[in-house]
Amino acid sequence: MSVQLLDRELDRLEGLWSDGLAETYGSYLDAVVHFEPDVQPRLALAAALIESGVRLQGLGGRAAPPTTLLTGDLCLARGSRLLADNAPLPVQVAFARAIEAASAAAAAEQPAPDLRQLLRQALGATR
Amino acid sequence: MSHRLDFATTHATEFVDITDRIRDEVRRAGLRNGRVHLQSLHTTLGLAINENEPLLLHDFESLLDRLAPAGAGYEHDDFARRFEVPLGEPANGHAHCRQLLLSAFATVMVEEGALVLGRWQSLFAVELDGPRQRQVALQLDGEFARRDEKVSLEALVELELARQLMVDPEPVAAPMRRLVEAGGKRLRPKLVQLTAGIGPRSDPLRAAELAAAVELLHNATLIHDDYVDESTHRRGRPTVAAAEGPERAIAVGDYYFAKATRLIAQIGNGGVTSALAEALESVCASQIDDVAMRGSYPGDRDSYMRVIRGKTASLFAAACESGALLSGAAPDVVQALGRFGDLLGTAFQMADDMVDFSPSSGKPVGLDIRQRVLSLPLIYAAEDRVVGPEVRRLLAGALGDSEVGRVAELVTSSGALPRVRQEAQHLVDAAVRELEAVELDGLRPTLVGLARAAVDRIS
Repeated sequence: MSVQLLDRELDRLEGLWSDGLAETYGSYLDAVVHFEPDVQPRLALAAALIESGVRLQGLGGRAAPPTTLLTGDLCLARGSRLLADNAPLPVQVAFARAIEAASAAAAAEQPAPDLRQLLRQALGATR
Repeated sequence: MSHRLDFATTHATEFVDITDRIRDEVRRAGLRNGRVHLQSLHTTLGLAINENEPLLLHDFESLLDRLAPAGAGYEHDDFARRFEVPLGEPANGHAHCRQLLLSAFATVMVEEGALVLGRWQSLFAVELDGPRQRQVALQLDGEFARRDEKVSLEALVELELARQLMVDPEPVAAPMRRLVEAGGKRLRPKLVQLTAGIGPRSDPLRAAELAAAVELLHNATLIHDDYVDESTHRRGRPTVAAAEGPERAIAVGDYYFAKATRLIAQIGNGGVTSALAEALESVCASQIDDVAMRGSYPGDRDSYMRVIRGKTASLFAAACESGALLSGAAPDVVQALGRFGDLLGTAFQMADDMVDFSPSSGKPVGLDIRQRVLSLPLIYAAEDRVVGPEVRRLLAGALGDSEVGRVAELVTSSGALPRVRQEAQHLVDAAVRELEAVELDGLRPTLVGLARAAVDRIS
């Protein structure tokens, strides 16, 4: 991923990169190869931010402390903005549905779906 | 009332969810109670009511494939034995046979203007020989709203909010419904609806959908904020975090964050999606700044302005821009409305700060002080030559009832409140000036009235 993109998209979230976000990002790279080359890192980062954001918030587990929750919220919002600017509509919709599924399960105190799997599927959504 | 639904399919076999489009037809026609009859106008397009779950749809495709596999020696595909075979006739015997297994017809009941569908039911047109251009015929019958019956913009948003909450799982819908039903000023949806009336593609129903999504997005941020601020009540009712715990609050906030962004995306206007996504990012980043500033509470005016522009004004601006974009307004109009929303949102937040010092507001005086919420009157009072030292000393310690009461007294006795009021009114004046240079199709007085009212509540 280019240094410029890292700088811009990780503003305020720099610490997360070395704290697992880089690894999470890497786990999505093979799921975005069917997109244009310049879009691939943005979509992989969007997925990584959303997965990390949800984990930071403690969704489906013990609630995160307020400041950590806010960092998680920013991860979700930035991931969502990256999708809005770079992803086709079916992918945006599939990402949203993945978060809806995870949060609905958490609210109902049911087992959490595998979010990474859902997000990887979302990256392949075509309709 | 008859109509045709046109759409294009993109795959050989495809389940096209037409539920929302049928809902739109029902609303557009004003059907209150009755039925929608649908009929496929093709011999290789079926209709079905089932669950829109991608893996299940894949199961259906597999089932159709097993029951009527392609190229399994259909006599229909033996063109040598058929008469008058058109040029380019596809070998699609399997698709006709599959259609026989489905139905070419569907009827859905309508009650109180809403389709009668179960929670998991969606209405599908099932492409069996795509991709193609397709058409479904619709007839609506029953009791229609009178043509001269004017539905207010507010009513449209409330209906849309109720409709959206009706289809959500109860563990998330119930807390959000309580928050929505508790009221609120609905300023952001109003701005969306008003600005959506400006351009040449004005569509009140689509505007109401966008407006409701923006309100859900705003409420989702409030649910998380209330946990962060340890607020016990909002709009006179217990907050989700207080009533059901922080875990539920996080889940409900996330669900509606996701749902709202999906509804916005599904409106299908990239400019609208981007504007609101950027605003949401600003809201979240500024909330972090807000909490960080509490270490040096009450902070200074510059930091305050930076935070409220991100936390409050950005969504006001995006609401105005997105409505205008939806209506196809000219770029200069969209930009002017964005500046109008930014200034109005800033003024609104200042006015909101002042409510904390008003005994007639219905809220306990000093709640913001107790929760160390950013407040411009407090910043000005802390900077005041006379009361400032005592305000700062009190804010530096624990804030019990007597300390909060004393700080509120000091703020009220200082010149802070008139100063903030005047500043808010100047911002509204500047917001109104933004509207003067652009063509607003007669909506300027309404927008000006709304802007003045947002600040007049503290006059």
